[in-house]
Amino acid sequence: MGETAEANERIVCAILAEQVAALRERMDSTATFELLWRTSALLSWLSGLLGDVSAQSAHAASVNASHPNPVLEREREEAITEIAEIRRALDDLAFLQAQRHDFAKQIADCVVIALERMAVAEMPAGTSFSSADLAALYVSADQRKLHDDVIHRLGL
Amino acid sequence: MPTILVLDDSATMVMSLSHILKGAGYDVETGMNGREGITKLTDGIKPAVILTDLNMPELDGIGFIKEARKIASTRFTPIIVLTTESGGRKRDEARAAGASGWLTKPAEPNQLLSVVKQLCPTR
Repeated sequence: MGETAEANERIVCAILAEQVAALRERMDSTATFELLWRTSALLSWLSGLLGDVSAQSAHAASVNASHPNPVLEREREEAITEIAEIRRALDDLAFLQAQRHDFAKQIADCVVIALERMAVAEMPAGTSFSSADLAALYVSADQRKLHDDVIHRLGL
Repeated sequence: MPTILVLDDSATMVMSLSHILKGAGYDVETGMNGREGITKLTDGIKPAVILTDLNMPELDGIGFIKEARKIASTRFTPIIVLTTESGGRKRDEARAAGASGWLTKPAEPNQLLSVVKQLCPTR
């Protein structure tokens, strides 16, 4: 490869590194997660509140020698069950999404580091960045498997 | 309430783990890397279980485990590695450093809680 072509490729790598880094910053979903957790905490609080209200109405009924409304009692129980299910689903969703989000950021980090090393400022002319150098940056078995699949597909 | 020390360089993961563990009745202390974890331990935090990521800046998970095992109060504390790494080599490295268990991300909340509860029941 001619020196000019090599220099151009390194400039492209430098620009791509900046673009992926910018994209990584835009992947911030903290506000979404906070809303999920707040909703989950609110549901937990509402569930407890429903239990307290029910206990209080049962107590008031016993003092007044009357009976709590059976329809309201049944609906309260159904609501508490539904709240518990939704809360569990929200917690599961938030936890799994947080892990996927973290993994995506780690892959973006890996791409940025690789591109930076291939770029103008990091690489002296005449040196190269090999697939083994790239593999050394991986943080998961999934990345290594993908790497091996590509190498295999390209017959390298 | 028993305390769980959570170490991860992802703020989202730290918040998510804290939410799950607090919901299950644990106190949670957090750090963004192994160095912060060691500082917490030397400051006197006595966690019942430690959850740590592997790939962290300053001091990674393996380095943290090695240093934590040198501190008398955490020599035998269960340390669970929670990481995207599922490779045998990393796992062997963590075990040799003193890790007690391993969970590969993405893990289910129930999976995480079941491991933590086995090591440290809340009541």
